[in-house]
Amino acid sequence: MVKRLSILAIVMAFLVVSIGVTMAGEGGNARKGKYLFRKTCRSCHMADGSAKELSPVSKTQADWQVVFDDISKLQCKDEWAALSEKDTKDIYSYLYGHAFDSPSPAKCK
Amino acid sequence: MPETKTKMMSRRKFLQMSGALAAATAVADPCRVLYALTKVAGENDPARIKEVFSACDMCFNKCGLIAQVENNVIRKLDPNPKSLKSRGMLCARGNAGVKQLYDPDRLKYPLLRKGARGEGKWMRLTWDQALDHAAEQLDRIGKEYTRCGFLFMAGTDMQSTFVHQFAEAYGSYNVISHESNCLLSRNRAFLDTYGVMPTPDVLNCKYVIMPGANRFEAIVTPDSMDLMSAKAKKSKLVVLDPRFTKTAAFADEWYPIKPGTDMAFFLAIAHVIIAEELYDKTFVKEMTSGFEELREHVKQYTPQWAQVETDIPARDIKRIARELAAAAPSAMVYPGRRSSDYEDSTQIRRSYAIVNALLGNWDREGGLLVPKKVKPGSMHIEAPFYEDNPDDRVDAGRAQMMFDEEGSFKHTRDAVIEGKPYPIKGWMTYKTNPMQTGANRDKTIEMIHKLDFMMTVDIAMSDTAWMADLVLPAPSYLERQDPLSAFLASSTCSGVITRDPVVPAMFESKPVFWIVKELAKRLDLGEFFDFTVDDFRKAQLKKIPEVAKALKEDGVYNVSGPSFGLHKGKPFKTRSKKIELYNTRYRDKGIDPMPVYNKPKVIPKNYFRIVVGRNAYITQSASTNNSLLWELEKENKLWIHPKPAANLNINDNETIIVKSSAGKVTIKARVTKETRPDTVYMDTGYGVLSKGLTNIFGKGACIAEVLEDKADKISGNMAMHETLVTVSKA
Repeated sequence: MVKRLSILAIVMAFLVVSIGVTMAGEGGNARKGKYLFRKTCRSCHMADGSAKELSPVSKTQADWQVVFDDISKLQCKDEWAALSEKDTKDIYSYLYGHAFDSPSPAKCK
Repeated sequence: MPETKTKMMSRRKFLQMSGALAAATAVADPCRVLYALTKVAGENDPARIKEVFSACDMCFNKCGLIAQVENNVIRKLDPNPKSLKSRGMLCARGNAGVKQLYDPDRLKYPLLRKGARGEGKWMRLTWDQALDHAAEQLDRIGKEYTRCGFLFMAGTDMQSTFVHQFAEAYGSYNVISHESNCLLSRNRAFLDTYGVMPTPDVLNCKYVIMPGANRFEAIVTPDSMDLMSAKAKKSKLVVLDPRFTKTAAFADEWYPIKPGTDMAFFLAIAHVIIAEELYDKTFVKEMTSGFEELREHVKQYTPQWAQVETDIPARDIKRIARELAAAAPSAMVYPGRRSSDYEDSTQIRRSYAIVNALLGNWDREGGLLVPKKVKPGSMHIEAPFYEDNPDDRVDAGRAQMMFDEEGSFKHTRDAVIEGKPYPIKGWMTYKTNPMQTGANRDKTIEMIHKLDFMMTVDIAMSDTAWMADLVLPAPSYLERQDPLSAFLASSTCSGVITRDPVVPAMFESKPVFWIVKELAKRLDLGEFFDFTVDDFRKAQLKKIPEVAKALKEDGVYNVSGPSFGLHKGKPFKTRSKKIELYNTRYRDKGIDPMPVYNKPKVIPKNYFRIVVGRNAYITQSASTNNSLLWELEKENKLWIHPKPAANLNINDNETIIVKSSAGKVTIKARVTKETRPDTVYMDTGYGVLSKGLTNIFGKGACIAEVLEDKADKISGNMAMHETLVTVSKA
């Protein structure tokens, strides 16, 4: 029973995440997203980090869209599941809004 | 002063010193400036001279230099022959850098305003007093108006990154650069066409059309030198400019184009190239998107039509189009630099970018290049997030596609004046002078009067410093340690340069890095500046140790190897992954997806269009007070053609009044055929308010006072050529 509930909880979490990002183009706060990206993602996604170095300009807007269309495919899906819908949306807004082919590509910092 | 030194002084030096003394005693101890001006026994003895590498800062180019230093005094600045970007040269302004260092007008210690803003009454503070006061204001304004209630503006400088970092740690995303008074619309256009801002390989180009750019006076390295070298190799230069500039003088063909019609010329060039099938068909097919739409679009823009718009004969437009295409791919429309001219300046530059694409000059020798660039590491900070901050920049939404990290001075200024969408009450400026470079000076003054607190960090008492509440003295580029700076250098590829102090910092000047670090400590933000410039450099050099060695041995790191043919098969950083002749993002945002020509406003009788430009010995307002350069131009004058001058009964050198809806100035006339009869011109950087600039105070007129503040609709870049003025006898 406990196992079933955990599975259900994980499935629900994935659903929440995927619903969140599907709608993410609207209303996310890219500035908060920048802060959250640095706080939650960059600890691994940095030079000499445990995962590939990432910044908004690592991908095109279309590529980020594919990523956020189904976050459950990511290796770090558990970390994403722990984030709120709003936080996910904010991070998406930052990465998508300042992508490689966006009108305002992020500057390297 | 030692007797030997006094005896060796010439009368001229004595007079120079006396003048310096009179100017300097009013504000500070001038001893070290005077010492530097004094001849020393055995001066220029090679055995006593030490050579120290640095990078010039008399403009933005950062040319490599070698300072000749004797007993901690710089005697001379020489070019660094190893600096490939500057082709081993240093221009007259670069040589005059020594007078920026030894300038009696330099700011010497922190000053607090005592009288009304701009009245020029100051009180000397200690650094502790100044920093405590600034921190108190930052803290108060942050709490009262949110952190975004404080605006930051840093000019082009190797330490500006620390101002940005401070703004981020403090919590304001209202950060603007000088660039929205300069080149943002050019960058916007090329980014939206190529996905990147390429650098032109002028050296190997066989046919250059230079619209507006004045590369032999508004120096860009290596382009200025390369253009001269290319000329020696018989390349062709066609200049379009309403003024007969030095660049026009060296050109094979000069067309005094009607201002505001460059787009018409290039749409007609595209028309001919497409109609006569002179474009690079393989390139256009494989690398561009929207060619069919472009073909249809430019059908209307015939050379005959363009002749009426531009005042350039249709037969010449046709011939130039054919010659340009015949020389391709080593042929180009030069992208230029400053593009703060018209309300459609992005679309004008899109027309340049599109013609370049038709020529297929991308990533080819003599075309538009994106060389391999060194990427120094960086020090990330985990800036806090302030939940009470507004959602966006104060200037958000005022332009169609503003660069989020650059903003717009014009729109920010409007927002501050309106107090909408939220109030801004504090402003920190570093090494930028919007009082002189931002069109409509009265509005900048109005903006400043809306503030509770304004602080300026600079070398001299610029007009912007003059209006501030707190003025903090910075060292010149020859007295400070900077981080590394990577640069692109056209066909010479790219490189890295840095600066170490050539001589100790004079007076009480402190680098802006130290200033923001001290402010951070006082604001409990010290953890974000828990490093030195050395630490910062180490982080930059971590993965590129070879750079450190070259900087030490040669004063510059040059990336060698070819700078073209590097992007074959790689997608462009655009939506379509191709060069976007037709921009779908523009279409989706309701912007013309291809440049649509709109006639510039007709100039009514007795009116003139005023245009902005440069000469080779001044860098806007940053160098007009430099005593060596000031000898070359003591005041600016209004260029006016003899025909209208005669109609207005204005003689050469006569004092006149220039008036627009923004303001009115008094200036002397320079009656000359070097400008069109419908166009007038004056240099930037005169007519100052600051009495701290003793050479130029009371000389000439301030162009920012008469320029109206229009903006490019897409990027928010200032549009400074939209102003019409009247001219009359004083």
